[in-house]
Amino acid sequence: MDRNEENTIIQEFTSGEYKEGFVTDVEQDFVPKGLNEDIIRTISRLKEEPEWLLEFRLDAFRKWQKMEMPDWAHLDLPPIDFQDIIYYAAPRKDKDRPKEIDPKLAETFEKLGIPLKERDVLAGVVAVDAVFDSVSVTTTFRKTLAEKGIIFCSFSEAVKEHPDLVRKYLATVVPSGDNYFAALNSAVFSDGSFCYIPKGVRCPMDLSSYFRINARGTGQFERTLIVADEGSYVSYMEGCTAPMRDEQQLHAAVVEIIVEKDADVKYSTVQNWYPGDAEGRGGILNLVTKRGICKGSGAHLSWTQVETGSAITWKYPSTILKGDNSASEFYSVAVTNNFQQADTGTKMVHIGRNTKSRIVSKGISAGRSQNSYRGLVRMNAGAQNARNYSQCDSLLIGSRCGAHTFPVIRSDNPTAVVEHEATTSKISEDQLFYCNQRGIGPEEAVGLIVNGYAREVLSRLPMEFAVEAQKLLQVSLEGSVG
Amino acid sequence: MGYGNYRDPFAGRRPEYVVRAGEKLSLSFVVLPGESRDIDIAVDLVGDGAEVDLKGLYLCTGDEQVNFRILVHHRVPGCLSHQLFNGLAGGTSRVRFEGRIVVAPDAQKTEAYQENHNILLSDSARVETTPQLEIYADDVKCSHGATIGRLDEDAQFYMRTRGIPEKEARVLQMISFLSPVTPEGERERVESALADSV
Repeated sequence: MDRNEENTIIQEFTSGEYKEGFVTDVEQDFVPKGLNEDIIRTISRLKEEPEWLLEFRLDAFRKWQKMEMPDWAHLDLPPIDFQDIIYYAAPRKDKDRPKEIDPKLAETFEKLGIPLKERDVLAGVVAVDAVFDSVSVTTTFRKTLAEKGIIFCSFSEAVKEHPDLVRKYLATVVPSGDNYFAALNSAVFSDGSFCYIPKGVRCPMDLSSYFRINARGTGQFERTLIVADEGSYVSYMEGCTAPMRDEQQLHAAVVEIIVEKDADVKYSTVQNWYPGDAEGRGGILNLVTKRGICKGSGAHLSWTQVETGSAITWKYPSTILKGDNSASEFYSVAVTNNFQQADTGTKMVHIGRNTKSRIVSKGISAGRSQNSYRGLVRMNAGAQNARNYSQCDSLLIGSRCGAHTFPVIRSDNPTAVVEHEATTSKISEDQLFYCNQRGIGPEEAVGLIVNGYAREVLSRLPMEFAVEAQKLLQVSLEGSVG
Repeated sequence: MGYGNYRDPFAGRRPEYVVRAGEKLSLSFVVLPGESRDIDIAVDLVGDGAEVDLKGLYLCTGDEQVNFRILVHHRVPGCLSHQLFNGLAGGTSRVRFEGRIVVAPDAQKTEAYQENHNILLSDSARVETTPQLEIYADDVKCSHGATIGRLDEDAQFYMRTRGIPEKEARVLQMISFLSPVTPEGERERVESALADSV
């Protein structure tokens, strides 16, 4: 195949449409643009929050004011004018029927494939918390879950109905002053999901949060708190999309996960925020802090992420392995195209004895994008017989993109074993040739090879997520022959 | 047209070694007990077919502080680089290995490999390793690997069942671990340092 033909295929392949880029026309309430203590008080008042939460926000805001924007990531981050952002936008409720969901919102989520009505979907039953800009629209299957003692609701409701639980766990994994964007989130967070699985309960269905940015000029700052009590199990999924716009929008979320003794949490993300257009205009700045703690012995936390969206991704889902014999995994596929930039990876901090972690990261860069893996594996002095294995592969499609690997590995314990390996290469011409001579077109062949390359991660996703993720890979990468 | 966030690593410093077309540079570093060292090496591969082969070994048994900072820059297409650094850290020593490979835009047909393997011999020794790859060209073969671990107990058991005393078995293991990075002329000195360390 000659170079020209290759280029045409790359062109076609990398110009896949972003089909979630529509805008929903609903009346919305906004707080004024800008960020100061008054705005924070307004958000807190609109959400009818207790005094302690307002104090928490203001304290975080004061910390944030003293912090500087981090510049260590391998990203060209545009300057962000924090005074030019609307920090709270909520679809207006119909005064006559305050309990009902606005049909336009229902339609929006229907279009995105997120059922707000409780019904069986093809691959089984999923409970959804749907967040539209700054508020949660609805949470399905709450009654079914409540029968088992499971609490699954929006963060705002949790603050009202289960203040003790929220207060006990909030900011215990990601303190409000943890980093620049976590501090910002702690000050202005609007909604998000709260989930509590009681002792010994196996959650009967997958739980899911779906985040949708709609309004112009806003940022989304959601906060998710998941608590799995002793011996419980939950599989949690997170999805997100946003309209196509020329302006860049900020998304700074915090996710905290507490895994008690012998509990098991599986957290999956398919991140499909609007990535910007082919010239690099617009897109979401996805700057999030996700962290879990394996608090008790035998706790298990597994992260799976498929990252295809966002103009800029800055995200390091991490686990603190505190309990003896606890284990954690991180499986990631990150795809960047056009002018997208991603700096993503994980941190595994081994504190307890016999703790185990495994990292599998697959980066795919195309177009003029830059894709970095950044990770930390740390064996503390007490981490007897701890074990880590990391595998980070990068696949390059086209000659103008970049793939980078920045792991930090530190061991303070002679019985701990850490292994890290990374490779970078392009799609093998032999593999392409093999497919082509068997009648598989170049575009399809690339899709096949990329899916095969990402298989180890995709196979970890819950079924319907895996189907969506595979489609997304096809759309955002189809036909790239390097 | 800019190339993402590529920055010439030699914009602010001069490389210690510049390797031109057809040239090959081979360097070996040996750090034995009692030596604290800061080894800071930057290599720029600037001509077609240039090759570099870097090897290093370190054996720390006291309170040594050993820092490696290695930068290999592939400025042009068709160059080859190999790096292998193996070391043992005991006592209260501190070892840091910072290795960076940068493949410039258009430096196609690059092959760059880097490995750093460490064994901790004591509770108070610390090792930190940061192998980094920055790649801005697509037709490349690059890999790095890093490990921190301990002497393999199965191998020790195997030797002891065959009548090799524990001490000797440990020395043999360490010799074999360092063997790929031991320069011929230094073999005796390294082996006697290993024997003394057990």
